[in-house]
Amino acid sequence: MKPYSINRKQDALWHLISVGILTGQHRPNNWSPDAICKPARVAMIDTSVAMDHPNLREAIRRDLAFDLFSTRLGAFPGLLEQKQIGDLGFGDAQALVAGLPGCKALLAELMARLAPDQPPKQGTLQPAASPVFSGHGTAIAGLIGARPARVPYAQAHITGPEDGQLPLPYCGADPTCEIVPISTNFDADPEQMILAFLYADLVNPDVIVLPRGIEDPFRAEPQLHAIDFLGQPLGELIAPCPIPDAQRELWSELAELILKISHRRPVICAAGNAHEEFGIYPANLASDDNGVISVGALNAKGWPSSYSPEEGLTVWAPSSDAEQFDSGEVRLNPERLLEIGHGVPPVNDNHKYSAFGIISTDVPGPGGYAATPFDTPEPQDGIREYGSYFCDFGGTSAACAIVAGFMALGRGLGQIPADADGIAAKAWLLSKCQPVRPDLPNVMVPHLHGEAFVRGEPDQP
Amino acid sequence: MADFSIMEQYEFVVTPQGLELIERAEDPQGSGTDMDAHATNSALTVLGSTMVARSAKGALAALNRNRNRNRNRNRNRNRNRNRNRNRAEFDTQDDLGIQEPWEERAKLYALRDEWMNLPMPLPPSLPELRAQALDLLKKQALLVRPQFAMRREEILVEADLELSRYLRPYGIETHGGYDATIHLMLVVLALTDEIGLYYKARWNVPRPNQIEPRLRPFLAAPAHASYHSNHAFQSFTIAFIMSRIIPEHPGSTQLFLSARRIAENREWAGVHYACDTQAGHMLARMILPVLEKVLEKNMLAAQAEWL
Repeated sequence: MKPYSINRKQDALWHLISVGILTGQHRPNNWSPDAICKPARVAMIDTSVAMDHPNLREAIRRDLAFDLFSTRLGAFPGLLEQKQIGDLGFGDAQALVAGLPGCKALLAELMARLAPDQPPKQGTLQPAASPVFSGHGTAIAGLIGARPARVPYAQAHITGPEDGQLPLPYCGADPTCEIVPISTNFDADPEQMILAFLYADLVNPDVIVLPRGIEDPFRAEPQLHAIDFLGQPLGELIAPCPIPDAQRELWSELAELILKISHRRPVICAAGNAHEEFGIYPANLASDDNGVISVGALNAKGWPSSYSPEEGLTVWAPSSDAEQFDSGEVRLNPERLLEIGHGVPPVNDNHKYSAFGIISTDVPGPGGYAATPFDTPEPQDGIREYGSYFCDFGGTSAACAIVAGFMALGRGLGQIPADADGIAAKAWLLSKCQPVRPDLPNVMVPHLHGEAFVRGEPDQP
Repeated sequence: MADFSIMEQYEFVVTPQGLELIERAEDPQGSGTDMDAHATNSALTVLGSTMVARSAKGALAALNRNRNRNRNRNRNRNRNRNRNRNRAEFDTQDDLGIQEPWEERAKLYALRDEWMNLPMPLPPSLPELRAQALDLLKKQALLVRPQFAMRREEILVEADLELSRYLRPYGIETHGGYDATIHLMLVVLALTDEIGLYYKARWNVPRPNQIEPRLRPFLAAPAHASYHSNHAFQSFTIAFIMSRIIPEHPGSTQLFLSARRIAENREWAGVHYACDTQAGHMLARMILPVLEKVLEKNMLAAQAEWL
């Protein structure tokens, strides 16, 4: 944990207060869960999720959860008890693949695999969806749509309410939405990502969120294939393995597919965590004429996080911060200056630094970002600690998850019309934004009521 | 329907001790917006376990942090020199650099029904293999050229499946403090060597130079069957496992590229067909859910070095 002043306390939900979803007392801020006519659906392309987390149990669509990590055409980790997947109400993606032959062929394979009489998994091949290694996805899902919950607790370890139910007062940006986890591995494989996006579209979500980058060798920044060196594209010269033409085509089709899908529904992407010039791919596809939304990170003081890209982003949202100590910026934790000792220039941005992170749900028990201190399985009589159920998260992953939940809430409340396409939904988001500071007119931050960003941590120069 | 009464009565607050669960005092106003409302609250219980982990926060900075940079550095160096010198021979503690992973092997065999019949495709027919061998002949002709000196060197170094190609994408090749990560990789190599031999024996596909005698392998072809490539299988398995442990690390995708290079180098050496590489990748992808169960403790220990 970052050092805190001894008396400093951080509201675990400051990020939701900042964007106008909750009041300081953690009540819905001028909206009501009862006003949700139809819960919004969020397709989340990331790692797997700990679906049994008490704050997520009601949020995750177990029947639609889809794993592409270990199975080429996907498996249904939430349906393993069933012999057939049944009719899951998939939509139609044929129009998306027009002119994209590789995608069209993959869609045909995928549709055959999604037929109601298909089994949830292929023979002995299992999905890679163990909750233990689902930390990232669990944190993302929590920020989007966690619900407050009560769980039985072991009274030998916790002092809590007399009814034996421990409250877990945590929620995501839209605690009424439903989340469809689509898990992938991180191989540089265009086919897998095409299948993930096709499946995401087939479940008819209101929002697609991609809290990660895609390692497209032609589109990751800087675009090395555009640099001529010794008469050849630099990307080809340095590629560990030659890229076959078929794969090259698939990478191009994936980029087109993402854009086409974004015209149907918003595709919300993390912009990157290393101050990339225009954000990572595919966040860097965002432009006025598509529904890709590139999300940067803002710290609790209302400054862009030190690691966040700044150019070409659509919006910024609350997240963590990190120290920076280079020619670009000196932003150090003022509470650590004595420890650092030397080399801190007198003119610096240390006042911008915020120690606040983003609290989200974590894999209960030994996995995830925060591990349980107990090394035996959870006893039957209830949880012994809640520390491992939550983690201190951050990055533009967190920021884009908050925006995904924010837009889901807008959809659930009917503020985004049911027939809104990706560009219209994006326009709604932008209509809710204000510059975070007068001197940062491009740093637009959403607020549910179109008001100014509420700082979670007061500025203390 | 979300039960918001929980939020009205309780809240979480982050403190230096961890996450505190606080019971709120009565709020007669009902809809306060004061961010500093905790002052009126009373603590119900304090049992947040340490929240030391930071995830995607500046993945480069956070995940490459090495808190124990110098710890056991020399021990690792010695270990890395000794590791897995000859996969055909490793069955002793010295060769592996780790103790025989008996516990993991026992778990692996307890789950034998989950991995002994994975849906691997049949290997190509002999005419198809002959067609693929033609590509290997072209590679053979190219490999002697000066511009392929680096690839020749790689092929020789990788013949023994040393770890540097797996560690380099994460920047820990020469750093201490990643003992559990290195140990995990060594155990993966041991288990996958055995799993791989099991699958190889099923189809007993001849090596490329047995199909195409005009092929002169740059390395001695191992005595076991060709399909699939165990180098590909083992390398990709490490990549898939790391992809599960630290997916957000930029090195995790680079490791796949490194694994592919290792696998393709075996084609350049003339000891594997392209289909062997592809099959090794497939098997690695499919075996991951089983290994995740077998190696859970090892993976958690490795993960703890990064978070």
